[in-house]
Amino acid sequence: MDFDKAMLAWTLPWDADWVTAVALLGRSRRLAAGNNLGEILVWDLPQKPDKPGGSVSPVRRLAGHTNVISKLLSTVDGRWLVSASYDHTIRCWYMQSPGDKEEKIVLNARAIEEADSPAGRRAGRKAPPPHEAEVRLQQAARTLGGRRSQPRSSVGHKEWVTSLAMSRDEKLLLSGDDAGQVILWDRAGGTEQRRWQVKGWAHAVALSPDNKLALVSERVPLVFDSGQHSAVRIWDIASAQPKLDLSKDFKMYIGAAAYSPDGKLLALGRGGEAEGQLFLVDPSNGKKLRELTPKHEYGITDLVFQ
Amino acid sequence: MNVTLSDHLRRRAFLKGTLVTGTGLTVANWGGLFNSRAVAAEAAKRGKRCILLWMNGGASQLDTFDMKPGRPTGGPFRPIVTKLPGVQVCEYLPKIAEQIGKLAVIRSMRTQSPDHPDGIYHMHTCYKQSERVPHPELGAMIAKYCGNPDADLPSFVRTGSTGNAGAGYLGPRYQPFSLERSGRLPYFTQSIGDPRAEERRNELLRFMEGRYAQDHVAEPLASHRHAKERSWRLLRAKAAFDISKDWPAAKDRYGDTDFGRGCFLARKLVEAGVPFVEIGQENYDSHADNFVCHKANMQVLDPAWSSLLIDLEERGLLDDTLVVWMGEVGRTPQINNRAGRDHFIRAWTIVLAGGGIRGGQVYGETDRDGKEVKDNPVSEGDLFSTIYTTLGVNPRVKHYVGTRPIWATPEGSQAIKELLG
Repeated sequence: MDFDKAMLAWTLPWDADWVTAVALLGRSRRLAAGNNLGEILVWDLPQKPDKPGGSVSPVRRLAGHTNVISKLLSTVDGRWLVSASYDHTIRCWYMQSPGDKEEKIVLNARAIEEADSPAGRRAGRKAPPPHEAEVRLQQAARTLGGRRSQPRSSVGHKEWVTSLAMSRDEKLLLSGDDAGQVILWDRAGGTEQRRWQVKGWAHAVALSPDNKLALVSERVPLVFDSGQHSAVRIWDIASAQPKLDLSKDFKMYIGAAAYSPDGKLLALGRGGEAEGQLFLVDPSNGKKLRELTPKHEYGITDLVFQ
Repeated sequence: MNVTLSDHLRRRAFLKGTLVTGTGLTVANWGGLFNSRAVAAEAAKRGKRCILLWMNGGASQLDTFDMKPGRPTGGPFRPIVTKLPGVQVCEYLPKIAEQIGKLAVIRSMRTQSPDHPDGIYHMHTCYKQSERVPHPELGAMIAKYCGNPDADLPSFVRTGSTGNAGAGYLGPRYQPFSLERSGRLPYFTQSIGDPRAEERRNELLRFMEGRYAQDHVAEPLASHRHAKERSWRLLRAKAAFDISKDWPAAKDRYGDTDFGRGCFLARKLVEAGVPFVEIGQENYDSHADNFVCHKANMQVLDPAWSSLLIDLEERGLLDDTLVVWMGEVGRTPQINNRAGRDHFIRAWTIVLAGGGIRGGQVYGETDRDGKEVKDNPVSEGDLFSTIYTTLGVNPRVKHYVGTRPIWATPEGSQAIKELLG
């Protein structure tokens, strides 16, 4: 794939709120995107665009989340999509499901509402015609945890799920929340395998290919207060104890992390609004091997080895 | 030369209002005024105090006390109900929600200064920043009118990021005494030698300066001597700032943070008689990652502020201690493309508690997206009028800067009657 000659292929109109996570479903032409309201839409991208930048309508709406979608992951075969949300839950969606009923959604509802608001009318804005799409509604096959869905349950996250990773064999999920809880899940059964607490908010997690180690980047996002904290550690999953502390070499907010398929490399990306630095690290000793250039203009939000 | 009576009065007033230095530079007379002593005596009798919790950078009203769930401006936080029917606050302020009966939430602030330096100045003085008149901060005014001039402790103490105007025309006597962010005393308050030797040296200095002053009468010299005397008195009383013995038992309730420690110290200082303490909390200027910033901040704010209110009440101090929660601006209802909220002054929120304020109420209202005030707009002057009135200070007290009269609050400011107990 040559990104030097990248050009706009399609536009996916959807102005309900800002998009917070995107994932291609395996190697298919199916794309899922989640937004700030907890909505997820799925598009089937045509083989070739009719015209550059032409619009494509969604085919499916995944309903259930009630707050920001923080991460979307797909299995390699594209049959399963996993979503993490600020609503404290992780949901697994079986994408081969025929779905439920069909419904009509308006993709430019925000623009219409803003034009019809008093401020919009004062500014002389004219509401655009509704951009409607017929989509099939789908519910999650499994919901992992969630205080709101299971108020008295001790299972699952009690705060925003801020990070999510899937094991290489796709059997396990690792998730972290901003109360510092890190949970290892059995993806098929939806049960907790292990749980441990870190001091800060768990912002990036990654699982080693042998499922024995977990990288957790954490921070408490306070400025000028004694409560400020950041750390990057590799944990031994069996004992739920830190095995290697990389914090001294990475005194920054690490927003994304990924192990290479052979487990010999660990990629760490600096997050936030600073320049997006990308580092390759030897996970056996935490040694910084090199920094990849050029840097991203802003912080890195996701990393993947292909 | 013919001098008319009015010319004569104007000249006297001018001379009364100014000092001339050796270089001929005219300086202010630190707010010389005709009625301040009576006002101060009256206010001091009431023994009122004030703690200002300063949200530096500007906290978001939509993510704290004026939530808009389900609206495009709402954001990811969820509201929780309070004991006050129909009043909800953010889910990350659960302890403050329990104190709602003490709070007067003003949801209809409409102010004039949209940026940080001018907003900080304006919300500390109730006047627009001006090069012509150095207005005093709220703390300096309270220090002047509610403080005990004979006290060893300073009457205006602050820590963290706070105001930028100081005592203004009230002069150095009412300048804030600033602590380190951790609440520790500044390094220069530590003795550098044997305290008894220092005392003997101070006595000698006092004697020599006294002799010199007999032949050289000048306000700057007197001010300097006054400042020195106050410093020595402060050193005698500095144990009041030491919370090391009590903090271990309090830190779990207040939260083991700078702000938590600051709120605990504020309680101790008002107990010791300090009339004004300002504690700053950083990290609110969330043009990016507004929700991450606010979530982290509220987890610091909630235990500290609620514990402060509970402790003041338990000690019988809350009725006489006004606790003000505010920053220099609110934040935009629109969420920008960095998941942030920018500065907003058209419709935002401030919270008052104690000090004679009638709690358990919400004053003013914004529209469904929080973009405009629907009713009862409150200006900076109205807010300060309310604060001064409840603390027993005449909001129309007049000071002179040179010959120019300046009132404590701008013309047309009105105290909010509904909030006054």
